[in-house]
Amino acid sequence: MEYWILFGTFVFLLLIGTPIAFCLGVSSFATIAYLGLPPVVVFQRLNSGVSIFALMAIPFFIFAGNLMVRGDIARRLVALAGAAVGHFRGGLGQVNILASVLFGGISGSAAADASAIGGLMVPQMKERGYDADYAVNITVVSSIIALMLPPSHNLIIYSIAGGGRISIADLFTAGIIPGLVLALSLMVAAWLVARKRGYPLEPFPGMRAVGTLLLSATPGLVLVAIIFGGVRSGVFTASESSCIAVVYAMFAIFFLYRTMDFEQFRLAVSDAVRTTAMVLMVIGCAAAFGWLLAFLRIPTQLVEFMRDLSDSPIVILLLINVLLLILGSFMDMSPLIVITTPIFLPVAMEFNVDPVQFGIILVLNLGIGLCTPPVGTVLFVGCAVGKMPVWDVVRTIWPFYIAGIFTLMLVTYIPALSLWLPSLFH
Amino acid sequence: NAAETMLRSSDTHPDGYPTVEAVKYMGKLLEEKTDGRLGVEVFHSAQLGEEKDTIEQTQFGVIDFNRVSLGPFNNIIEETKIPSLPYIFRSIDHMHKVMDGLIGEDILKAFEAHDLVGLAFYDAGARSFYNSEKPIKSMDDLKGMKFRVMQSDVFVKMVDALGANATPMPYGEVYSSIQTGVIDGAENNWPSFESSGHFEVAPYYTLDQHLIVPEVLVMSKKSWDKLSAEDQAAVREAAKESVPHMRKLWADREAASEAKVKKAGVNIVTDIDKTPFIEAMKPVYEEFVTSDKLKDLVERIQATE
Amino acid sequence: MTTFFLILTRVMAVLARIALALSGIGLVLMTAFIAWQVFGRFVLNDTPTWTESVSVLIMGWFIFLGAAVGIREGYHLSFDVFLYLLPDRVKRVLHTVSDIVVVAFGAGMIGYGIQLAEATWSTTIPNVGWSGATAFLALICGGVLLVLFSLERLARRAAGLVTARFGEVELPDEDR
Ligand code: NA
Ligand code: NA
Repeated sequence: MEYWILFGTFVFLLLIGTPIAFCLGVSSFATIAYLGLPPVVVFQRLNSGVSIFALMAIPFFIFAGNLMVRGDIARRLVALAGAAVGHFRGGLGQVNILASVLFGGISGSAAADASAIGGLMVPQMKERGYDADYAVNITVVSSIIALMLPPSHNLIIYSIAGGGRISIADLFTAGIIPGLVLALSLMVAAWLVARKRGYPLEPFPGMRAVGTLLLSATPGLVLVAIIFGGVRSGVFTASESSCIAVVYAMFAIFFLYRTMDFEQFRLAVSDAVRTTAMVLMVIGCAAAFGWLLAFLRIPTQLVEFMRDLSDSPIVILLLINVLLLILGSFMDMSPLIVITTPIFLPVAMEFNVDPVQFGIILVLNLGIGLCTPPVGTVLFVGCAVGKMPVWDVVRTIWPFYIAGIFTLMLVTYIPALSLWLPSLFH
Repeated sequence: NAAETMLRSSDTHPDGYPTVEAVKYMGKLLEEKTDGRLGVEVFHSAQLGEEKDTIEQTQFGVIDFNRVSLGPFNNIIEETKIPSLPYIFRSIDHMHKVMDGLIGEDILKAFEAHDLVGLAFYDAGARSFYNSEKPIKSMDDLKGMKFRVMQSDVFVKMVDALGANATPMPYGEVYSSIQTGVIDGAENNWPSFESSGHFEVAPYYTLDQHLIVPEVLVMSKKSWDKLSAEDQAAVREAAKESVPHMRKLWADREAASEAKVKKAGVNIVTDIDKTPFIEAMKPVYEEFVTSDKLKDLVERIQATE
Repeated sequence: MTTFFLILTRVMAVLARIALALSGIGLVLMTAFIAWQVFGRFVLNDTPTWTESVSVLIMGWFIFLGAAVGIREGYHLSFDVFLYLLPDRVKRVLHTVSDIVVVAFGAGMIGYGIQLAEATWSTTIPNVGWSGATAFLALICGGVLLVLFSLERLARRAAGLVTARFGEVELPDEDR
């Protein structure tokens, strides 16, 4: 009965449009009350769930991303990417992807990436004869790259959801190759679609122009180097690097570029607060929900159930992936990481999957979910910046879904893709 | 899972860890003593939360048992500060003598005022310093080095009093922080030094045994009051009887970790003169041993042979 | 709009603005504290031990205050696909149910937050020395705002005024 109350209340509230955070919180509340236990636990879990030092990276990275967009750092990175690969087939599509590689390395948020790069690229692409659906498709799916490249706050959430014992530095390093493989697969897909539709080529602006743009984008690139190099060289920890990203972004904007006034700064701060509160409230309420899952022994039962289904790691991983893809098409990423990690990580580890590799699988899988209907934050952001109805975008997006799922399968079945790079640091 | 009522117990350590196994063993004893009426189910790996949170949950009566370190109690129950002081115990044997005797009983009784019933003390070995730089043989060697400590007043004050630099940091970041030089080292017991892999990046271990802090098994007062006097006695007995079993498991685990670490070629310093370390703790004792009650406890512990 | 709604909207808008401003100051302070922690360890070779605990407390403030403002401005994520299929009249009823549920949760944040604060009153936060109850103040204040903003939504909807919803309706600028 308690299962029905927990999941029934959750689904009911979800369907009537209650914010996801409160769906999680209220269904936990109802279940605890039904069990006759003191409901105070729900609020203790909520409070403890957001009082974790490592979570601080989320507001910092979101804040840094906002500063970069409002302070013109993001636009300069796009301009650099445009000069570098604009002369390839479907050039601006490739630029869009490359920009995600560069910007994703800083923002670590797919929604931030889609809004920042989409806002710049989609109008440019339409202007130069690309179809709007193509521009939005690429913007949406390529923003998953941001989730894979360091710093990815979703990998931090995963590390915490996994009990805080999975090295964040390892997860960050592990995401690099899969992120680049994803970028490559998407570039191939973009090229194929562009060839079929006969999109124009951009002239190569010459090394001189690339050099000038490189110079103009250098402070942005330095930010990437600072975050990653800072963690790896031992100046600061992963959580601290996010704070340094903010401090550096402020420094670049106020002293190097001088592109921001106080009003813009105030807006960047309040936007960051809004996004952070939205994301972390979900995480806090999911902590209460997750506590009940553990208390009712649901993860243990699921592990036993899957063990009965098959003893082949290949089949189990496929099952997990399919289940996650389905869940991901309905729900948003951070609550799903918090909810599913305690359930699936023990299963995966039971079948000798490294927790670091599993983190990359999880984030890539749920990242694809961000781009799919019915609930896909990144898809909605893409539609908003491209001013297009969801259905028109989704109709032609499948080559990019295929590229994403192809990468997912590679990452799932070739552990070395994720584990080789971190092993170099051990 | 044969008992009619399965009581819930929380533990932050993973399945198979000596504390987890000891509570399972305690549950088995309880089942025998109550003819299958009561049993214990251990929620390991911090499934129900970190120690600070599960202590509150135990007080609220959501969890029945909890196996916790004494550290998180320091800011709640005054008496628990004393066994958590650096160099208060001369050796593990000394700690056993104190906690198994009247002093231990007095400390267990102090839990009652906080909606908890103190049942037994378990072992957690001795914590010592390890680092990536050099063998530490005297206090001079510690000067200016950065050591990760838990978010605890005693730990911070102790490391500072030794002339080193206390750096609170989440446990999960310690490995890469030592590796990259954010910090020079940390401090812990043999099993944690080994299982965390920290010995790979910090190959100098100095057995100064600065902290020999026992762990404690508590029951929720709310759950306790629901039991008959007979069952309460059974719980107390089962808890006490699990202690020798736990100490055996702990000793085995410690020996295995020690062997593994030594095999990896870690440099281990055993022959250090602890006297200057102990003397340096004066300001720490002055700060934490505030009342006459606590002063009396310290004296009684030091007088125990 | 009646005088009642003019006053109500203005009071709530001021509350929301104060909450957002406090949250923003919190974010900037948090940045400063953690930067100071890095500077202390790396340059001064003396790590400040209070920064972690204090920053975590501040984070609680801007999450709970920000989440409450999110109810008013409608920026929380939700699942809207099912609602698209329904007629407006039914939708309004369901939105009302949803707001009532949030009021209940906000009330829980207040009531149980106070209970938690009482239970931890005599404990102290390591390396800061403040009462453990401090950690629950943000939860309680966030709960108060959550209840107020949800009640405002209920009142506005009953009066036929606009309530904000993510990706659908924004609160008119003059009401923000
Ligand atoms: Na993109
Ligand atoms: Na989706």
